[in-house]
Amino acid sequence: MFSYSLVNVLGACLIITSMMVVLARTRRAAAFLYSLQSLVLVGLLASLGAVTGSTELFTWSATAFATKVVLVPAILLFTLKKIGNDAQADLSPKLKPMKSVTLVAVEVFICFVAVSGIDLPTAAAVKPTLAVSLAHFFIGLTCIVIQRSIFKQIFGYCLMENGSHVTLALLAPQAPELVEIGVATDAIFAVIILAVLVWRMAHYAHTLDADDLCELKG
Amino acid sequence: MTIIIAILQAILLVSIAPLLSGITRKIRAKMHSRTGTSIFQDYYDLVKLWKRCEVKEGGSSIVSRLAPPIFLGSFILLATGLPLVMQACPIPIFGDIITILYLMALPRFMFALASIDSAGSYTAIGGVRELLVGVLIEPSLILVLFVMAVAASSTNVGIMAFSVANLSAYPFVAVVVAGVACAMACYIEMGKLPFDLAEAEQEIQEGPLAAYSGPSLAMMKLGVSLKQLVVASLFVAIFVPFGAAANAAPLELVCGLVAYLVKVLIVFLIASVIENAVMRVRYKFLGRYTWFVMGIASLSLVFLVIGI
Repeated sequence: MFSYSLVNVLGACLIITSMMVVLARTRRAAAFLYSLQSLVLVGLLASLGAVTGSTELFTWSATAFATKVVLVPAILLFTLKKIGNDAQADLSPKLKPMKSVTLVAVEVFICFVAVSGIDLPTAAAVKPTLAVSLAHFFIGLTCIVIQRSIFKQIFGYCLMENGSHVTLALLAPQAPELVEIGVATDAIFAVIILAVLVWRMAHYAHTLDADDLCELKG
Repeated sequence: MTIIIAILQAILLVSIAPLLSGITRKIRAKMHSRTGTSIFQDYYDLVKLWKRCEVKEGGSSIVSRLAPPIFLGSFILLATGLPLVMQACPIPIFGDIITILYLMALPRFMFALASIDSAGSYTAIGGVRELLVGVLIEPSLILVLFVMAVAASSTNVGIMAFSVANLSAYPFVAVVVAGVACAMACYIEMGKLPFDLAEAEQEIQEGPLAAYSGPSLAMMKLGVSLKQLVVASLFVAIFVPFGAAANAAPLELVCGLVAYLVKVLIVFLIASVIENAVMRVRYKFLGRYTWFVMGIASLSLVFLVIGI
């Protein structure tokens, strides 16, 4: 049952869930969808662990579950609760959904073309997933660029971070736990800092619109 | 043997199409807290129309007279070719995606031609809208069918159904995403809200119907409900072939028939619930929805290319 094809299918699910995060209408929905995406990521790490026989990856998936499925969405939802009515409701993104979907599709394709040139023995069977993980970096960037709400831009960062996590797991499945702790804590602290910033801005400027916030220079 | 199945399934589809249309009407009435008409209302309408004499518009040519039989006939031909009860196509030549796409384009073309041919300017607007829907949604349908053709390595719908039923269609995720895109495309093709209102044909998408009367109108009306059923069956046949008969043994065929009817009924139930939960969209904004479907279809193509 555990084979590289399962890893690849989960990689595709990562793309679909991250697209749902980008397209989510409300901020709450985006937080829950991010949690779902992280759950897929945990599944991917665990199945990769089963395929490669690396025990480290199981610990990775456990810590990823604690940090990404539970902690990060909890922090984000808590921030939302804190912001409350300080800032206006959900802002629509700058790009229409269909353009975002097409953009994501194009990004995945370009990443696949880029990855197909790489010839690594560790990543021969999981090239599609490697492309997916690379594409996550661009999907995250897309999310940051197209979202007007600075709260939703945090999700862009989180998506990029998930991508780097998958890349690391694919290329270095035997890497010690210490490396993983580095990646996970990095995410947690960055999200906490960003959440505090968003909360302070909402409190001070009563808006989460990045365009409006540009006027707050000096 | 398979030819008999093909003829029987065409007769079946033609005979139950008005019933399904009646059921969706009844569901709408119930959701609006109305009693609604009988589920057999469409049959009564058709019989009544068939008895009436036909009135032709002054100045309309043979195109207007040919459109209703061609419209109905194309969908009957489509109905013979789809792998509904069996996993294989009863008549393979009608089960090829290229034939299917052209057979779906032909009635649309005749429809648009008839709308221009009619003397009224109002019908032409309806024809233009019908064409607009076709132009916007057909590329996604073509893309989805292309993905399926590569995944099943055949352009025959029966072989696609067979490979999906055995879970042997290779890039698994690409097929699932293509299925989602196909479901959305078929929903729009069915001409339901938010894109069209089945009972207000004269008003929008099916504008040319305003110019018809008597048996021609009956044929058109039957064709429209048959179109909904055929499009839903196309989706069911390719992406949900589970339960269809693997061979032509009588018992399996009966099981396949029951499974097909249940699946189509479920599709219609879901479609009518969605239909009643949304508002009608202005034609100006139709592109937004169809481009979204196109985006998902292109995502499935990308998944196919990268092989997941």
